[in-house]
Amino acid sequence: MRRPRRRASAPAWLALAISSLIGAAAPGPSYAADADTIARGKYLAIASDCTACHTLPGSKPMAGGLPIETPIGAIIATNITPSKTAGIGDYTLEQFSAALRKGIRRDGQMLYPAMPYTAYAKLSDEDVAALYAYFMNSVEPVDQKPVETKLPLPFNIRLSMAAWNLLFLDGKPFTPDASQSAEWNRGAYLVRGPAHCGACHTPRNLLMAEQASKELAGGDVGFWNAPNVTSDANSGIGGWSIDELVAYMRDGHAAAKAQAGGPMAEAVENSLRFLTDPDLRAIAIYLKSTPAIHDPADTRPAYMWGGPFDDLASIRGVPLPRDRDSWSGAQIYDAHCATCHQDKGQGSFDGKLPSLLHNTALGTTNTNNVVAVILQGLHRQPDVLMPAFADALSDKQVATLGAYLIENFGNPAAKVTVDQVKTIRAGAVATNSNLVLIAQAATVAVPLIVIALLLIWISRRRGRRQDASGS
Amino acid sequence: MADILSADYIVVGSGIIGSLVARKLALAGASVIILEAGPRVTRGELVARFRNSPRRSDWMSPYPPADWAPHPIYQPADNGYLIQAGPYPYPAEYIRQVGGTTWHWAAQAWRNLPNDFRIKSLYGVGVDWPIGYEDLEPFYQEAEEIMGVSGAPNTGSPRAKPFPMEPVAEPYAMRRLRERLASDFPVVANTTARNSRPYDGRPACVGNNSCQPICPVDAQYHGGLSADAAEAAGVQLIANANVYKLEHDESGKVTAALYYDPDKSSHRITGKTFVVAANGIESPRLLLLSTSDKFPKGLANNFDMVGRHLMDHPSTSLTFDADEDVWLGRGPQSPSSINTLRDGPFRSEHAPYRLDFTNISRVDGSTKSLIAAGVFGPELEKRLRHSAAREMNVKNVLEVLPNPDHRITLSSEKDAMGIPKPETHYSIEDYTRRGAERSQQDFRRIAELMGGTNLRFSKDGDFANNQHICGTLSMGSDPKISVCDEWGRTHDHENLYLAGTGVLPTSATCNSTENALAVALRAVTHMLAQQGATSAPPPRDADERVPS
Repeated sequence: MRRPRRRASAPAWLALAISSLIGAAAPGPSYAADADTIARGKYLAIASDCTACHTLPGSKPMAGGLPIETPIGAIIATNITPSKTAGIGDYTLEQFSAALRKGIRRDGQMLYPAMPYTAYAKLSDEDVAALYAYFMNSVEPVDQKPVETKLPLPFNIRLSMAAWNLLFLDGKPFTPDASQSAEWNRGAYLVRGPAHCGACHTPRNLLMAEQASKELAGGDVGFWNAPNVTSDANSGIGGWSIDELVAYMRDGHAAAKAQAGGPMAEAVENSLRFLTDPDLRAIAIYLKSTPAIHDPADTRPAYMWGGPFDDLASIRGVPLPRDRDSWSGAQIYDAHCATCHQDKGQGSFDGKLPSLLHNTALGTTNTNNVVAVILQGLHRQPDVLMPAFADALSDKQVATLGAYLIENFGNPAAKVTVDQVKTIRAGAVATNSNLVLIAQAATVAVPLIVIALLLIWISRRRGRRQDASGS
Repeated sequence: MADILSADYIVVGSGIIGSLVARKLALAGASVIILEAGPRVTRGELVARFRNSPRRSDWMSPYPPADWAPHPIYQPADNGYLIQAGPYPYPAEYIRQVGGTTWHWAAQAWRNLPNDFRIKSLYGVGVDWPIGYEDLEPFYQEAEEIMGVSGAPNTGSPRAKPFPMEPVAEPYAMRRLRERLASDFPVVANTTARNSRPYDGRPACVGNNSCQPICPVDAQYHGGLSADAAEAAGVQLIANANVYKLEHDESGKVTAALYYDPDKSSHRITGKTFVVAANGIESPRLLLLSTSDKFPKGLANNFDMVGRHLMDHPSTSLTFDADEDVWLGRGPQSPSSINTLRDGPFRSEHAPYRLDFTNISRVDGSTKSLIAAGVFGPELEKRLRHSAAREMNVKNVLEVLPNPDHRITLSSEKDAMGIPKPETHYSIEDYTRRGAERSQQDFRRIAELMGGTNLRFSKDGDFANNQHICGTLSMGSDPKISVCDEWGRTHDHENLYLAGTGVLPTSATCNSTENALAVALRAVTHMLAQQGATSAPPPRDADERVPS
């Protein structure tokens, strides 16, 4: 049975009052909001991609349950529907804001930073209120609690996050830079706040916090590589036009540049493609202005590698080896790839079947994404589906094919190894036992660690001040 | 020899029908084993072999037969597996490997017309089916949702629910046919199991135009996917298991399947219910091979009906050059057809037919024939370009009536395993020939509307075969003229079911796969009911079995 929608209108309230009198489900707290505010809240929820973690694919929106694999174990996303028993139905606006921007639950327990509250801390009060209005009024309550997150010691002590927050949570909302355009400021707000781009694209330190000094310089999402999206011409997106960046975020594809796969495909699918054109342009303008972070290994832009190539002469008239692991790269390409990417890797005339030349996926030195796409395929709403080859190809075949692709269509300096394929095929992020061990040892040496953390904190504060004075 | 395997259901054949029957049984909680004579193959190998074949128009070239489980091959030379007793040749093609013959089809997934089930009552020809269109309707839908079928909305087969997807984009040549024939013929999208959008984890068609011999991306549904789905549902699939005999007990119930592995070691598998789904030639062959003192003519053959009523869809055709460039070869091989001649009072006089347009690239065929004619140099290029751009072809797909003299028997020749080869007895009857004659006027009119020149009719009396083998295990209510009942259960053995195109008692005018699949999916409900609680573990001892 569908519950009544929560609206501020008198008849609805009357109906709710009556329904509670006759013993139907009690309504949650009210939050009067006009339709515009709710719509704005919905847009922000999309821009913030809440659904990426809080909606289990195929299940009720925002009801939680998705395990988010981290190096210290799986963190289970919570139910953030307005259910009073299983969700956030009893949260006041202030409590909602504290969870969103400070990582503190209604019961005072601390959230794990898998929830990107360090980014949401940038949200304006107005936007937090709009999000609250949306969740309370338009999201259907689901009275089912997902299983609790269970992390190893000491991470199971949520209070340990207090020290982490002390170090890494800059709880100040976004302040516009008066010297920049409104567009730039909108882009900066979206990138650093709701869209939390840095959650994937900024590398993390040993304690899993984003490294402020390397903002957007590229990070890892499980085995996927989120590339450098700073303005650097070779390592980042400096060579992309604004239109290309907008097209990429809207369509998941920019001709002769790149296509979104893996978690980025999800970001496009759930979030970015629904943003307005001005917002996407604002994001692009801001990204193009970010401090360039350069990796000397990147001798040219990732999309500048490769040329049309085939090796048909080596395989026509030659019988296929019986042992599939002995197939050559050209034979594997011919059997599995050439149908869509065409004989010379050029893709289809309309770009819908992507070219492998001038393709960021093959031009980066980190080859994890190539391997992951071969194994898992590429799925992106509304109509993109590259099939997965995990069942069709052995580890050796994926490595052979990866080498063939990189050598002919990508950056020949990059490498794919059989072990790499094996690891990525295994899928789940390996628990970082070192981190767990270090942290467990640390809890034994609590006094020492407190002093160490304090020292780090002091040095960071200094560093920040220097950063601020230097900019 | 030591294998002692057993299951609730033993399915012989891992093609689209056997695998999807097995899957549905397994999903209902039953234990199921599939025995497949041929080897496992992967799409990658098939695509690689196709691309590497010097005989690109020989669609069987990527499918070399296994020594231990051969299938008929005709190019470059006849391998002599399917013996032709005549008078008219029946050069059937099929594939013995995991997934079966639909690795290699054009994915035509037509439903019969309601009147196709009652041609004896309505037109005084053939036989009536023991069931009607309405009995099959939900199972057509089930089949279509599994395979991802699309089609034109009105081709005479009413639907309770819409197709699961829209048709693939209309190729340009088909658009021109539709536009230019509109005054006389409605040209519509074929009903096919081909993705126009991502569906069930498979991508949309990318227009490689190699549906036969192999869709290189699985946009086209095939039995290999059915076999994968069966295994995912818990079915145990044993490849390279060439079943050569079914055994029975005193009561006539089937008790075991005997198979040879590639080394000709014999294995025995027991089960409660047996489903033979090994295609329209191999299934009757297995029944005929399963002789015993009690059943000297083989199983299910008390009235000598097994293997009889062999039918297919013979075709004649017209090739012509249009007066404009249409460039066949973009998109699927068989995208469009005319369906208005599939039913009518004329069926009492001559065969009904579909008119099917090919969209197969002309480049390979034209190149070969021009070179064979000694054309070379700039002239070759000019004429090849002309043929590739303008050549078109239309064929009829004719109904054949059931005739007990058209049949599959066991040959005196034996295959490499020492098992008698199948032998065909076939002819083209006047009913079908009259239909072909009638279609000549349609051919001419179509060519005329397309500004056609250089008209080349297929040789008079020559009928191409469409590999829609059916009728050899006909279902019916009268055991004297049929092999099994409406559920595919043999009249003679209560736990022996037949599934596949052989069960279809008439051929109608459309490809047999979808009809056979719907009949088989419907039959599964009966198979499950017959065993009662299917989730119970299978008895390991014959004595424990409770007669049903």
